[in-house]
Amino acid sequence: MTMSMGGPRSLDVDESEQLDERTRRDAMTINMGPQHPSTHGVLRLILTLDGETILKAEPEVGYLHTGIEKTAESKSYFKALVVTDRMDYLAPLANNLGYSLAVERLLDIEVPEKAIFARVALAELQRIASHLVWLASSALDLGAQSVFLYCFREREIILDIFELCSGVRMMTSYIMPGGLQADLPPGFDTQVRAFLKLFPDRLREYHGLLTNNQLWIDRTRGVSVLSAEDAVAFGCTGGTLRGSGIAYDVRKVYPYSGYERFDFDVPVGTNGDVYDRYLVRMLEMDQSLRIIQQALDGMPEGRWAVDDPKVVAPPKYEISSNMESLIHHFKLYTEGYRVPAGETYLRTESPKGELGFYLVSDGGPHPYRMHVRAPSFANLQALPKMIEGSQLADVVAAIGSIDIVLGEVDR
Amino acid sequence: MAQENQQPASIHPAVAFVRDRFPSEVIESSEIRGEATLVVKPESIVPVCLALRDEPSLRMDMLSSITAVDWPERLPRFDVVYHLLSLPTGHNVRLKVRVGDDETPHPEVPSAILVWPAANWFEREVWDLFGITFTGHPNMRRIELPDDWVGHPLRKDYPLTGFSLPEPQWGGQVPAPAPGEPKTGRRPLRVIRPDSTRK
Repeated sequence: MTMSMGGPRSLDVDESEQLDERTRRDAMTINMGPQHPSTHGVLRLILTLDGETILKAEPEVGYLHTGIEKTAESKSYFKALVVTDRMDYLAPLANNLGYSLAVERLLDIEVPEKAIFARVALAELQRIASHLVWLASSALDLGAQSVFLYCFREREIILDIFELCSGVRMMTSYIMPGGLQADLPPGFDTQVRAFLKLFPDRLREYHGLLTNNQLWIDRTRGVSVLSAEDAVAFGCTGGTLRGSGIAYDVRKVYPYSGYERFDFDVPVGTNGDVYDRYLVRMLEMDQSLRIIQQALDGMPEGRWAVDDPKVVAPPKYEISSNMESLIHHFKLYTEGYRVPAGETYLRTESPKGELGFYLVSDGGPHPYRMHVRAPSFANLQALPKMIEGSQLADVVAAIGSIDIVLGEVDR
Repeated sequence: MAQENQQPASIHPAVAFVRDRFPSEVIESSEIRGEATLVVKPESIVPVCLALRDEPSLRMDMLSSITAVDWPERLPRFDVVYHLLSLPTGHNVRLKVRVGDDETPHPEVPSAILVWPAANWFEREVWDLFGITFTGHPNMRRIELPDDWVGHPLRKDYPLTGFSLPEPQWGGQVPAPAPGEPKTGRRPLRVIRPDSTRK
């Protein structure tokens, strides 16, 4: 990008409609993305610049649209779980959890205690893993390369735990309607406890690298401020909303999956700038550690999924000895289970914000409609509000700070 | 539809408020599993949203999502579904309007963008995937699909597996590229007959 014309001018750009009158001959329109390395996927921004000052920003999304909502309509509830992994591919277990809870609410079933505790532990591990990718990439965008390497090192430990559980590092589909795909493996407790022991030190390391680093503060404090009113009006949730000073966390306001039984705090920022959003997510990782600790300590014995062969397949070894199990297997994997007609909108707090699943059932074995309220989609809408009037170099900081995943925006 | 266990004793405050304020605009309301649903007339959606947002006891200040559901066999064909949330009071409610008939391929709903700016992209998405227009929206363009896309994929009559492509012509016959069209890397298929290799 070469912009040599003019220096930054202080232009009042509150009214984007007035742009045409104000646009002078040296205003310039450039594309940022979709292949820009700091757009976290394939986000395209059409920026109108005056020198390096942004007059107008227009995000263009859709480059990763894969029709996930349409695909889910043709699959049985059991199989539609797999496409939810692919939306927010940095936090597949959080998507699995939201989807499974929505299906369970329509089916009106309660999962066993062990599944509840395991799900919370996994969802919080997933939150840390997702925040680590956010921290790594947003710090890298601002030039802090070592943070990137350290964060991915710790994320790998979490992914190893997921691999231990499900055999897959990322697209696990481990949480499913009715409970978990399989029992927690024997080494789960030990590995997670080892991680809990190790991670606070590593977190301190990241804080040491960034939180009081003058370069980091200069690049983030007071940059791309989003006021609380704007954040609410644009439907922002998650760290983006809490950074602006509003303590909305679905886990506290609409507890799901037993979160009301866990003791944790919700960090809230004050200024709504990149630095506050950064701090909020950093402190959230601390709280996630607390929740995981409680989930491990309280993990009961017992089944990991409902004892209902209509929803969860009976053990494979029963097929050869039990006629009913054979029939259930056949029915589950061919037709799937039928879900009573009705609709539900279930909110969960994914690492990115409020992840809502709106499921409509017509009584058949396929979801009649599955709408996903993706947190990144709403958060991204507020991006022009954050960056208009600021400098081009701050766009990168702003995009990093709202933590978008384009797979979820486009679905 | 599921059996609706109406409980007039514990009616949802948002439902009670809208029924009281707009008695002639509410078509039906229900509360299932603690989720309140209000079906209102399409032309009154903006006043209802505005009233829900500004009523001090409710303050539905956040729009969680707008989406739609296609019911091709039903006469108002589409449900446009709004999920509202109140951060100060913790209430949430689902609003619905029913639009669409055989005469209007692109039914119209008033845009809620002046109530919540968040409606901007949600409404564009509903236009893109369902073909429902929102009157008063300043930028009613497709958002997920390319601008020249034909059709609206989340309608139930939109094919899932894409479009019917012409049958491949075997036997060395590959359709010649149209003038100006770049050549594909595919070679013509050769038919190897047994009698050509053996006497």
